Amino acid sequence: MLKDARDYQILFLSLFLVLGIGTRDWTLHPEFILVAIATCCLTQWVAASLKYFIEVDNKDARDNGNTEGLIDTKNLADVFNFSLVKPAFRSAIITSLGLSLLLRVDHCSTMVLAGAIAISSKFIFKIKDKHFFNPANIGIIAVLVLTQDAWVSPGQWGEDWWYLLLFAGTGGLIVKKVGRWDTTAAFLGAYALLEAIRNFWLGWTWDVYWHRLMSGSLLLFALFMITDPRSIPNARISRYLWAISIALLTFILRNYFFIPTAVFWALFALAPLTIVFDSIWQAPRFSWQETSPSFTENLTLDLAIAPKSAPQMEREKSQVG
Amino acid sequence: MNRLRISLSCILSLIIFIGYTPNAWGFCGFYVAKADTKLYNQASQVVIARDSDRTILTMANDYQGDVKDFAIVVPVPVAIEKEQVRIGDPKIVERLDAFSAPRLVEYFDDNPCQVYPASETPPPLPAPAGGAPQSPPARSTLGVTIEAQFNVGEYEILILSAKESSGLETWLKQNGYRIPSGASQLLQPYIRQKMKFFVAKVNLKEFNKSGYESLRPLMIAYESPKFMLPIRLGMVNSKTEQDLIVYVLSPKGQAEVTNYRTVKVPSDSEIPLFVKNEFSDFYKAMFQNAYTKESKKVAFLEYAWDMGSCDPCSAEPLTVEELKKAGVFWLKPNEGTNVFISRIHVRYTRDKFPEDLMFQETANRKQFQGRYVLRHPYTGEMKCPAAAEYKRSLKQRSEEQAQTLSQLTGWRVEDIRQKMKLVSDRSEPFWRSIWTD
Repeated sequence: MLKDARDYQILFLSLFLVLGIGTRDWTLHPEFILVAIATCCLTQWVAASLKYFIEVDNKDARDNGNTEGLIDTKNLADVFNFSLVKPAFRSAIITSLGLSLLLRVDHCSTMVLAGAIAISSKFIFKIKDKHFFNPANIGIIAVLVLTQDAWVSPGQWGEDWWYLLLFAGTGGLIVKKVGRWDTTAAFLGAYALLEAIRNFWLGWTWDVYWHRLMSGSLLLFALFMITDPRSIPNARISRYLWAISIALLTFILRNYFFIPTAVFWALFALAPLTIVFDSIWQAPRFSWQETSPSFTENLTLDLAIAPKSAPQMEREKSQVG
Repeated sequence: MNRLRISLSCILSLIIFIGYTPNAWGFCGFYVAKADTKLYNQASQVVIARDSDRTILTMANDYQGDVKDFAIVVPVPVAIEKEQVRIGDPKIVERLDAFSAPRLVEYFDDNPCQVYPASETPPPLPAPAGGAPQSPPARSTLGVTIEAQFNVGEYEILILSAKESSGLETWLKQNGYRIPSGASQLLQPYIRQKMKFFVAKVNLKEFNKSGYESLRPLMIAYESPKFMLPIRLGMVNSKTEQDLIVYVLSPKGQAEVTNYRTVKVPSDSEIPLFVKNEFSDFYKAMFQNAYTKESKKVAFLEYAWDMGSCDPCSAEPLTVEELKKAGVFWLKPNEGTNVFISRIHVRYTRDKFPEDLMFQETANRKQFQGRYVLRHPYTGEMKCPAAAEYKRSLKQRSEEQAQTLSQLTGWRVEDIRQKMKLVSDRSEPFWRSIWTD
């Protein structure tokens, strides 16, 4: 079937978009979705090319002691050689679909900015070749802050049980694919507990509690955004702590600062903790096709059957080299 | 931080009838009767003028009972002082209603042997109801503190804070307010969030002096990051569906509900001409139908528009003076009217809307209106080959309009056809629609 767990993500996110346009009368514009996809892929390509040239140059410099002629004609042609440049289009598409699902804008230019910042962040905010901001998240936060015409509609997924089941089912499948279900569980568990305590203390009836948790946007976030294995902590213990911290901050921002988009701010603010946690608890980092001991426990056969010859793996190796 | 904690708060709720029907006002919040009068609230209107954390809230009501029995309890974010409360002008709420009401527009076909612009029917408007005043409450402990007590216009206002919901309930009862059973439990969450309670009743003497026949809207100005309306209290004494129309005025853009879906009402449909005479029936049926289709748990957006203009206009845009009376506080001289209105209609019941309404303003400046189209066929003399084609198209158009109307309202399509006098047309042989000569 699909060889890369990201293919499943693309499939499911697309399904949600189609469902969203079909059944929820959002301000979802197909042209904005196309713009988001195009921008993310293009940015990914350009950034990957730049990275490739810089790496090639550095390698040349190391090999030959020659730092001149940084980019020659032959190298320029390499820009179109995807097997060399290896732009991770799948990741870019996932980011663009995530943006399309969560972000609302008035103008195409804002979506372009969100997409460009999202993908660029992967190449800029990284330590030891690991980016620590979730691309779609930083894209959303950036345009919320920098532009006048971007917003997030937390209520637009409604709270139907049907959606809950659909999200939980398919999302669960995906996170199992990528082996970070523990993050989702820790986040949702901690958040649900905090809300339960607050609900009990305030004396609201429990349907208020369920209504607060039944938010489609919250689940979408928990299942698809904070599970991105490339930007979250490597060790399980640190993922627990990290997810719980985000839940706590979300809870505070939502209930005491009344910010409707609390989850996105919480993730943005705490993303750099990944670096700290990774330095404290070390574990092999995640790659999309490779299995490693640290998470085989979570994902067992799904990743084990993924082919190891995929380009990404080569990239991983080259990065190691 | 302190301010933020204090800001745990809220506002209020209200409701309304809709569209073109003559509106009645109704405080929602919850009514507290001073006597054993049966009270109910069916519809309320709230105007929220908001820029960042600053809010001016106008509550208008359709209170139908005796004025001396009128009282409301509304949780508010912060302690309110006398200078933060004003009497609103009922006409302004009417103006906002008229300006933003769903509208019917007409087009007239041109002679096919060669279409005019639209005219629209303006909506009629609400009128409040009337009554008479009451005696002042006594003080007592019970953990209830009177933060402020003052009169504004015909209203006697108390700002209370409480430690325990049972204490507040007892206090209100001892002071002659009739609290619906079950209210105590609902007061607790607001007390724990350190909200204050805005309690208003009518001073009969002042009311009689004022010469008004009905209660005027109350306006409260306050500062709080919490952008919400507490509808839960309003549901204590009402099991039935309640209508609330919220007019959010913002310098930024469209407002939406963040904890329920905000859905646009069906719009821009072409419907049969007879609807012109029964537009209010049409709108009520259509709204009910849309409400049911959305499982009764969404908020409907009926209008979203920059208040500098309208197209077509169901009422003239509000003047700067009127906007200020509606609570718009950010206008500066010579800078135009930067006001975006969102008319959000929520029909709610206890089971589908467990949580108070939370709002946000967005940067969305896309305009939207509930608009329904009538197209009059050309009735003059037509002498050209295109005329036959035009007449055929009319039949198809009528049938489509009948279907649309049926889908929108849930009315039986047979009944609609009858009203449109389409019945006989349908018995024509099918071939005649193609072989005409």
